[in-house]
Amino acid sequence: MTNDVIKEAVAKQQSGDRKLLADNTVLGKVMTFNIGEQVYGIEIQYVTEIIGVQRITKVPHVPNYIKGIINVRSKVVPVVDIRARFGKPEIPYNSRTCIITLSFNDTSVGIIVDSVADVEDIRTSDISATPENKGVNSNEFIQYMIRSGENTTKLILDVAKLLDEQEY
Amino acid sequence: MAKIEPGMESMLDMYFFETNSLLEQLDEILLRTEQANAFETEDIKEIFRIMHTIKGSSAMMGFDNLSVLAHKAEDMFFVIRENPDVITDVSFVYDLVFQVSDSYKAQIEAIQNNVGGEYEQTNFDELIDKLLKAKDKLSSEANGEAPKDNSAGSSDTAAQPAAAGEGKVSVRVFFEEGCQMENLRAFLLINTIRDECSFLEFYPADVETNSETSKEIVEHGFLITFSSKDDKNYILKQIENALNVQSYEVLTNAETAEDTKKDEAPKAEIPPEPVAAAVKTEAPKPAAAPSPAAAPSDAAIEKAQAAVAVANQTNGSQKQSLISVNLAKLDALHDIVGEIITTESMVISNPDLEGLELESFNKAARDLKKLTAELQDTVMSIRMVPLAGVFQKMNRIVRDMRKKLNKDVEFVIEGEDTEVDKSIVDSLQDPLMHLVRNCMDHGIEENADDRIAAGKPAKGTLKLSAQNSSGEVIITVSDDGTGIDPEKIMAKARKQGILTKPESEYTEKEIQNLILLPGFSTNEQVTEFSGRGVGMDVVKANVEKCNGTITVDSKKGKGTTFIIKIPLTLAIIDGMEITVGDIVFTVPISTIRESFKVETEQIVYDTGGNEMIMIRGVCYPILRLHEKFLIDTEVKTLEDGILLLVSSDNKDVCIFADRLIGEQQVVVKPFPKYLARYNIKGEGLSGCTIMGDGSISLIIDTNTLIG
Repeated sequence: MTNDVIKEAVAKQQSGDRKLLADNTVLGKVMTFNIGEQVYGIEIQYVTEIIGVQRITKVPHVPNYIKGIINVRSKVVPVVDIRARFGKPEIPYNSRTCIITLSFNDTSVGIIVDSVADVEDIRTSDISATPENKGVNSNEFIQYMIRSGENTTKLILDVAKLLDEQEY
Repeated sequence: MAKIEPGMESMLDMYFFETNSLLEQLDEILLRTEQANAFETEDIKEIFRIMHTIKGSSAMMGFDNLSVLAHKAEDMFFVIRENPDVITDVSFVYDLVFQVSDSYKAQIEAIQNNVGGEYEQTNFDELIDKLLKAKDKLSSEANGEAPKDNSAGSSDTAAQPAAAGEGKVSVRVFFEEGCQMENLRAFLLINTIRDECSFLEFYPADVETNSETSKEIVEHGFLITFSSKDDKNYILKQIENALNVQSYEVLTNAETAEDTKKDEAPKAEIPPEPVAAAVKTEAPKPAAAPSPAAAPSDAAIEKAQAAVAVANQTNGSQKQSLISVNLAKLDALHDIVGEIITTESMVISNPDLEGLELESFNKAARDLKKLTAELQDTVMSIRMVPLAGVFQKMNRIVRDMRKKLNKDVEFVIEGEDTEVDKSIVDSLQDPLMHLVRNCMDHGIEENADDRIAAGKPAKGTLKLSAQNSSGEVIITVSDDGTGIDPEKIMAKARKQGILTKPESEYTEKEIQNLILLPGFSTNEQVTEFSGRGVGMDVVKANVEKCNGTITVDSKKGKGTTFIIKIPLTLAIIDGMEITVGDIVFTVPISTIRESFKVETEQIVYDTGGNEMIMIRGVCYPILRLHEKFLIDTEVKTLEDGILLLVSSDNKDVCIFADRLIGEQQVVVKPFPKYLARYNIKGEGLSGCTIMGDGSISLIIDTNTLIG
């Protein structure tokens, strides 16, 4: 979703207008996955497929969060461990660990997550802006949040930033 | 600023392709005839034809300035064609036509770079003015010498239509069967050509109002008599290209017909005595789509076909056996073949088959292997194009520089038939151009006296050659000029601060290769052609982009040779698989000289504690791959693993790995785009490949590994 759509949705939330607050138009779908206790999401249009962890060929001279490259149906795809990327402690891969391959602007990247949860709708009424807490490493990759239920928030990743980051 | 007409964009590719190949053809003719220093009648006709086609297609695309320019050039050649003797100053004509050709290329490039957007419309007034003057001069000469030849020179002036005419022409036009409303189609046709004609009559005359005439047209055809303001062929072309025209035939010259018959309008009964063979338009478009947009596109396709036909005519009258294919499609085909080969080895060396006796399977597998190898070769050969095109362009550069620098140089081309991958040809053009310019500018001596004093012939030689040798193409650019002065290079390198080790340690070869480093240019003066200090390093980078290498070999006073070596194909290599820890590497077999086990006694250490090994009296450094790539492995003592002696451009080294797996043909894949920001390629890896079992192996690039 574009930032404009999110801003508009957030503005509706903050307007305090009862009618606008109740606007539950479906804006899109997210695929949610777990990292530890936290639920993250990725808008479905960026997701190419979900595969189990397979043999990863290490590549030298890359940051530690790039675990290497894998062969996805004759395509060579780099994989990033989301835990390592967000500076969380890494855990050994198990049968629930998944690689979600994403594609954005011709760039394909697989991300390693603890487990895949669900696919759900994004409604205008659920969207909220990210808190201005720039100190946390993972925050810069969060585009917005969606609330569901009483106390759970799901953090939606900014795929453009995650894949196109300019970092050395 | 101008914009490309909407609706024309789809035709642009065709236009660029056609016009560029025509211009190349033009250059080729010019260079060839310039050497002979005379125009053959056939060549003049050819140039005229080229200009004519370009004029037509440019006008169709709405590039008015280009069309006018070609028109004027065409006019000039019209005069020359009528009377080839008028050319008194041959080189003047050449310069003029080269200028036209260059202006064309520049403008087309400008348009090409701005497809969809606006582009700068170059003003060709000056050049056109020159052409006009040249034409007037030529035609006045022509008239002076041969007064009766009054048609020359005044062809484009509407004021003298009678003199301009090549006489009246009668044409009988037939429309496609069943296209209906023939009378209106005939009327449209008349409207199309009206502007070009100084005289125009047609029968039946009341086509606009009388729909009954349709029947007559279907039965007897539509008769047009016209005399053109300019060029009757142009009008004929228009008729040919008009919508729904099935065929037309040119009848006996109407002038004579009229003289004898004295008829106001030629009747349909005139005995059709075709002087020119009826021209059938190929593959008429279905009449169901007579939208206005279809007309120009049809015309363009046919023009392109005509251009191809012209090209074929010049290469002897061979049948049209060439097609042009989009490179992207070839790339896709190429990728698929690569994947088939990978999949094939996945099937044939499938672990499930291990230990089984499979006689007929093995036979079938062998056959399959043979076929896929053949398929691969064929696909590769499709992408192979001869270097002749690039070499010809160099010809042109040498010609221009010879004039500007006033150096007498003979340009020798060898092996232009050598074929390389299309993508390599494209990326070779710039480096070669730089090298040729450098040789012309810096290489060959300023004046002939210096050469004679050095015991060399007064005429310099610049040689461009290409040859195949064991999976590589070797292209050399050599001159017999001053050569490279090592001292000058050293001094310059010192000044630029690009030396990386003590001066005394540089060998002559290394010094010479310093000129390939970024920021190095020995010419103090920046000239139009070279000396900006970008150039040689760009050449190097370009060559390396296609996995090639470039070296310099020069003798002071004798000349300089640049040697470019490029692998024939980029994508498939023979590789040796080795493991280090749990990573599999592929080493290109072409770089491996030998592999061997080692005993502790053979290892020697230098003062820095670096390991070396002595093989047949030569000492080679040992490079441990697990250290280089920081890999965990159990094999850390040299005796347990294996050593591979590999060579790169200028250094040999022994690499240490855990063990050898075997030989395999692999398809090179680039690293994913996401990893491009990390310096993997600079640290000894050139790409990766998918192996038979689906796992990935990293391909070692010995040049960057050692460097």
